[in-house]
Amino acid sequence: MNHVIEVENLTKIYGRPGAGVLAVDHLNFEVRQGEIFGFLGPNGAGKTTTQRMLTTLLEPSEGRILIHGHELAHDAYPAKRMIGLVPEESNVYTELTAWDNLMFTASLYRVPRAERAARAQELLETFGLWEKRDVKAENFSKGMRRRLSIAMAIIHKPALLFLDEPTPGLDAQSIRSIWELIRRMNAEGTTIFLSTHQIEEANQLCERVAIISHGKVAAIDTPERLKANFRRVQSVEVAFEGEMAEKSPGLESLPGVTTQAKVGDKIRLYTEDPSALLSRLIQYAESHALRVVSLNTLGPSLEDVFLEITGGQVGAVGNGSQEDKPAKRGMGGRK
Amino acid sequence: MNQWIERIKDEWAQAWTVAVKDVRVYYLRPGMIMFGFLMPFFMFFSFSVQRELGAEEGVARLLALTVFFTAGAAGPFIIPTERRIGTYDRLLAAPMSLITLLLGKTAVGAFFAVSVSVIALLAGLLIFGTTIAQPWLLAAGILLGALSFSTLGLAFGSIPTTNPGDVQMPSTLLRWGLLFISGVFIPLSQMAPAARAVAYLSPLTYAQDLMNQAVLGSGLIDPWLDLAVLSMSAVVFMWPSVWLHRRARVLGR
Repeated sequence: MNHVIEVENLTKIYGRPGAGVLAVDHLNFEVRQGEIFGFLGPNGAGKTTTQRMLTTLLEPSEGRILIHGHELAHDAYPAKRMIGLVPEESNVYTELTAWDNLMFTASLYRVPRAERAARAQELLETFGLWEKRDVKAENFSKGMRRRLSIAMAIIHKPALLFLDEPTPGLDAQSIRSIWELIRRMNAEGTTIFLSTHQIEEANQLCERVAIISHGKVAAIDTPERLKANFRRVQSVEVAFEGEMAEKSPGLESLPGVTTQAKVGDKIRLYTEDPSALLSRLIQYAESHALRVVSLNTLGPSLEDVFLEITGGQVGAVGNGSQEDKPAKRGMGGRK
Repeated sequence: MNQWIERIKDEWAQAWTVAVKDVRVYYLRPGMIMFGFLMPFFMFFSFSVQRELGAEEGVARLLALTVFFTAGAAGPFIIPTERRIGTYDRLLAAPMSLITLLLGKTAVGAFFAVSVSVIALLAGLLIFGTTIAQPWLLAAGILLGALSFSTLGLAFGSIPTTNPGDVQMPSTLLRWGLLFISGVFIPLSQMAPAARAVAYLSPLTYAQDLMNQAVLGSGLIDPWLDLAVLSMSAVVFMWPSVWLHRRARVLGR
């Protein structure tokens, strides 16, 4: 297996050893050639610190990083040539036009002079910015700046692209277009290291995910295998007609229910045995004369896995991940 | 061997790219105009008006002030600004050495100083009819002075902060201190021995002496020594920048 990134015992302590803050604690992981690797964790978990060390912006306190076999501590130059970096903030030069931003980056990364204009045009067209090429970036929307920032990071066709929180604050259309671009770059051979706290983003894009918590890798696997290991966070989602909050008391005390959460106009009941709970729910509806609008059993979502691993409360759903729906196994409405 | 030549050519081009970008992005920013363009003229007029000062002497003083203030204005303004908006990470992550980046940043201040000095010189030549005793010495003095004071400004700009105000304050304090000990307003020849000994510690003393040599045709120090001190100080002032950048990489700022 070809590894693009190899990380061994990577540690970062801010401040003096012993008295400092341990931000990253002996991380070990590899990123394979050609994959989209998700680095998922809550704010403050150590994602950005790790990414800054992987991109040479921060010196590790301990440990070893190899990028395409080049150890960053001693041989950073060839590794830097292969890296593209999209940081959390869209770091474009707002005083320059989109075109000039790209020309500057192309020159900085020594893209051959004859190829620069064609490459910039191709990227601006791909990112929907060609018509705005002569407009200063200060007049761009947040989404446009984000796209320009990504275009600047890949103008030298990096083999490895680091993306730090690429989509927060963007509208749904911009998020979709950036996801599509990430998939396309990956299909063209770029390995992607995606650092995010947006669970659905990792779920949609990543072939493997590392969940980082308190500076340590808590789990690392494919999203589906991670979910499969957390069967205890399966759930049943039910919606009753009318004012269900008032008319459905005692649901959380049904046998087998571990946690109850309100999700929009539905109630999600976490259980280890969804099929047993289904029949109890139907009995409950009949005994309380409630009409069931929808009833679904749900597998564990990546969000559930994430919360379980990072110590969050399973059931505290709907926080910044509207699109994160657990895998539905059944649909329907019944009386 | 070829690989190294290619690398050096690349690094040279990257330093140039950084410098040209900074010129386009920052030269017309208020912070640069205030501290780099207006400040030397304010200082000159504050301390020179209504004093018996010949045209040549005035031009030599104005040139020293211009080179000193203008060259040192870029670093403390540009680097913290870029750190704040995140664009500095783009430069640090690029495949070039730290020295290349710092050379590019040095060039920005130096270009600025040379440009403003040419304006000051033209004003002296055209308005006051000043004559230049040793033009080549003047050119060398402006260039080396610009490089030296630009690296001095860069050292302040390299302090790991995202707020230009944090470094402009100490940078301005130091520069004002140097201004008053360096024989700009009080000629070296009129200083007490102890004050003169202190003046010799300041690179501005050598820049002012070079301007005197070049414009007036007379100075107190050997011009070769002036040139050597300015060249060496440009190199020496680069070290704190390198150290501070390495420190920032450790501290994560």
